[in-house]
Amino acid sequence: MGDSGLASEVNEHQRLQLQFQLFQESLPKVDETIYRMLLNEAVPLAISVEKSLTHHKEDATGQLEAELDSKLALESQQGDASHKLLKDYLAADQDQQTRIKTRLENIGFQLGQKLSQLLIFSNNPNLSFKDMDLLSVMKFVCRDVWKQVFGKQIDNLKTNHRGTFYLLDYNYKPIEPFTLEEDLSDQEQKLIEPFLHVPCGMIRGVLASLGFEKEGQVTCQATLVDPPDSKQAGAGTFTKSVSFNVQVLVGR
Amino acid sequence: MAIYSFWIFDRHLGNCIFDREWTLKSNQSSGTTNSKLNEDTAKLLYGMVFSLRSISQKLSGEGSHNEIRTISTGKYRAHILCTASGLWFVLLSDLKQEDLSHVLRYLYSEIYVKTVVHNWFSPVDFAESDSEKRGQGFRKIRNRNFLASVERFLGPMVN
Repeated sequence: MGDSGLASEVNEHQRLQLQFQLFQESLPKVDETIYRMLLNEAVPLAISVEKSLTHHKEDATGQLEAELDSKLALESQQGDASHKLLKDYLAADQDQQTRIKTRLENIGFQLGQKLSQLLIFSNNPNLSFKDMDLLSVMKFVCRDVWKQVFGKQIDNLKTNHRGTFYLLDYNYKPIEPFTLEEDLSDQEQKLIEPFLHVPCGMIRGVLASLGFEKEGQVTCQATLVDPPDSKQAGAGTFTKSVSFNVQVLVGR
Repeated sequence: MAIYSFWIFDRHLGNCIFDREWTLKSNQSSGTTNSKLNEDTAKLLYGMVFSLRSISQKLSGEGSHNEIRTISTGKYRAHILCTASGLWFVLLSDLKQEDLSHVLRYLYSEIYVKTVVHNWFSPVDFAESDSEKRGQGFRKIRNRNFLASVERFLGPMVN
């Protein structure tokens, strides 16, 4: 009796796995390259929006004229190229940079909220979302969320069991190809910064949708750190890894 | 296996956006990269490919598409890959190399696309204003990932 119970349980699990697999296969697919580019393009988007907003405040009449011009011209140029917008970001003052970063975090936040809904909907048999404690939520972020968004898992998760987490990604995919010229390392790091605010917002969004939703309860910061020696890639490639520092204030 | 030099031209009629010339067979790191001295050579090379390309297209008859692949002279052979976006990849090698189109395709799809096109910090179009088009451009690919990958991939083929 016990044996047959166990067998049916395994079968049940296998059935769930199979169902999950079939469900995954039935989900609509998109091209990975396009999707990655779209995700990265969020940064120039935020810069461009910020730029056109400030311009609008400064000279409304000039704006009108420019608009007229662009409508009269046969070939209207829509906005600046992405790499120029990024240069604008470097030139922007502290205030603007902060606003751009907030904008990006909001994009990430909304993405994260929807993402966890999608992942709950996808009925993953390895996960139960009922009574999830903080650690398993973070594990969910590291495994499933990262897998869904970046195609890989977080490489290392550290915690002090009191609400501080370090999520280390040794080769954070989206910024891998980003290099300026041969020796402009400082500028490069400054330019990479806004790209890290999207995943930060995303982590916050996922946490918010899973119950850590109070204002200011979760803070997330990302920094570039040197990878451990064993993971160092060959010369000439991007060698920094990303560390996400998540602080969660737990009740009390 | 010996290659002599590698060139990339963009779609603005003769703007050379990358050049790499090896001078010593024995030394993989010898020679010049993005050199000012190579500007005239680049223009001549562009002209040669341009004319032969238009001849080959005219001689192919109506409707059919005929891209030039290699040009051989008495001393060297030029291998050419033209993309639909107007980029030309030109590789000069010795006469023993019959066909290096797979090498060029790799250079385009695995190196150029991954380190230049997917690089948000690098311009997609290397001519920033009208005055830099039609062979007047001076901007080159300088990003370190690209340079390193080209070196790593083509270096072993130099001698």
